[in-house]
Amino acid sequence: MNSRERILAHLEGRPVDTLPAMPITMMFAGDRAGIKYGDYATDYRRLVEAQCRVAEEFDFDYVSVISDPGCEAADCGAAVRFYPDQPPAIDEANALLADKTRLARLAAPDPLGGGRMHNRVRGVELLKQRVGGDKLVEGWIEGPAAEGADLRGINALMVDFYDDPAFVRDLFEFVVEMEGRFARAQVEAGADVIGIGDAAASLVGPGFYEEYVWPYEKRLVDQVHTLGAAVRLHICGDTRRILQGMGQLGCEIVDLDFLAPVAEGRAAMGPQQVLLGNIDPVRVLRNGTPDSVYAAIEECHRQAGPRYIVGAGCEVPRDTPPENVRALVRYAREHAA
Amino acid sequence: MTVFDELQQAIINGQAALAKELTKKGLDSGKKPRDFFPNAIIPAMDEVGRRMRECEFFIPEVLIAARASRAATDLLRPLLVGDEAVQAAGVVVCGTVKGDLHDIGKNIVAMMLESAGFRIVDLGVDVAPEKIVQAVKDENANVVALSALLTTTMVNMKGSIEALKAAGLRDKVKILVGGAPVTDAWANSIGADGYGKDAPAAVELARRLAATA
Ligand code: B12
Repeated sequence: MNSRERILAHLEGRPVDTLPAMPITMMFAGDRAGIKYGDYATDYRRLVEAQCRVAEEFDFDYVSVISDPGCEAADCGAAVRFYPDQPPAIDEANALLADKTRLARLAAPDPLGGGRMHNRVRGVELLKQRVGGDKLVEGWIEGPAAEGADLRGINALMVDFYDDPAFVRDLFEFVVEMEGRFARAQVEAGADVIGIGDAAASLVGPGFYEEYVWPYEKRLVDQVHTLGAAVRLHICGDTRRILQGMGQLGCEIVDLDFLAPVAEGRAAMGPQQVLLGNIDPVRVLRNGTPDSVYAAIEECHRQAGPRYIVGAGCEVPRDTPPENVRALVRYAREHAA
Repeated sequence: MTVFDELQQAIINGQAALAKELTKKGLDSGKKPRDFFPNAIIPAMDEVGRRMRECEFFIPEVLIAARASRAATDLLRPLLVGDEAVQAAGVVVCGTVKGDLHDIGKNIVAMMLESAGFRIVDLGVDVAPEKIVQAVKDENANVVALSALLTTTMVNMKGSIEALKAAGLRDKVKILVGGAPVTDAWANSIGADGYGKDAPAAVELARRLAATA
């Protein structure tokens, strides 16, 4: 069975030859391919080249267009700073919605309008052409809390939950609408799975998560499902207090960052949820040895049980020793579910 | 409840307008500006720190509490200027190091230090070592607090310390470092004076180090 078949079979609960391996690589991939990260993030051809290169070299089961959270915000008109060899960064001091009243006048960008979102859609298309028969192709969008934070400024958004909940809802409404269209464009371009990154969701606590964030995440997940793609949810950080909600979104794959033990994820989400993760990207994957990486993944697998995909808690850090990444995939190849 | 108790509650609950009103009320009834800190503001922020550690408070709660604390201290600070018995606990230059844009943790640390009586000079994010050196000189600071959230920018903490050394200012200041990837061992290896794992730890550390500075 090839990589794509392996992941799809695993998600459907059919038998697989080995565990799938789906670690997130961005800067690591760029570095491996000798591509400056500024180019990786802004030119889909370079991203595709690097993704194909690492998927081949390390035998990952998928390729992805994830690059940085600024694509949608940039197309909305936010000030984004670009660097030669770092991820683009949104200028929070000059956030697009520093003045909340601008939201009413904000038009959702066309994902095929020639901007950064379009660049990502083209990335999906080219990945599909290049390796789509063999590897699973992953598209990427931001979730309501993360994208809301990108547009409003994360420090301001945190306080809005108390000061102006109606604005928070309007903002998330806008985001879900925009991200739904972005997901559609990527699925039409060939994405098998859509990753939803919602980092800021781990910062708000269970009360606000359930009341404000979860309902919009749910709508987004449902939209992607109507498009016929699977969903991978990725919330960075300490998600221990919101695991139950994450498990009720109906995502095919839920990522766990290293701060949320796999056993807790399993207990909160039940035996059927496919969990992905979650070794500490820095302390274990980057600073460890092939043996310690292998052992740490083994422990994750033990806690997760068979509904499990091999990966780190978050992005593979750029200066990770390649032999550690190989050890991670080797664990997958040496184990059936 | 005394006005101090009420103010403490208002800060913990993040009620900025109420905190301001209670501060005025306390001042009108003859309370000394300097007494607000040990009796209301510091215990309030200590409690906020405790709730954060216990995961009863998350980022929004901490930020609105800090805002309420600021509503009180903004009224009090100008009144403390002539008071010989109080000096600021110290002057802290803080910032997120070069290349790094994460500032939520740094902001919380800064606000807690401010509530603990320190004067804060916040240089923001992506702060170059030269800017830190300049600020230490200009503000006559005795504490420098550096934050980094990326393994790739942690090294710039070292660069900042080197720059202070080169400018002959290293012995004038105590240097605290923190942020998710930072550890005690790292703090030692770059010659910092201390590492704090969270904002309450930053306050304890700053108090202890500033006392010996
Ligand atoms: C929010 C966030 C962002 C936001 C930041 C917005 C902002 N204004 O801060 C945005 C979206 C911009 C962002 C961008 C990126 N991020 Co980010 N981000 C996070 C996230 C989810 C939360 C960080 C946070 O605010 N935590 C809450 C605060 C309160 O905690 P804290 O900062 O640790 O602070 C506490 C203590 O550490 C301590 N402390 C902090 N500073 C100091 C200072 C002193 C002196 C002391 C004593 C104590 C102290 O006290 C604080 C309060 O208790 C983390 C994941 C995580 N859970 O940590 C990733 C994370 C930090 N990001 C990460 C990455 C990789 C990135 C990007 C490179 C992603 C990309 N490819 O685009 C970019 C880099 C941008 C840049 N150049 O900085 C990685 C870092 C991995 C690594 N070790 O290198 C993390 C860990 C995610 C992960 N699991 O991989 N990110």
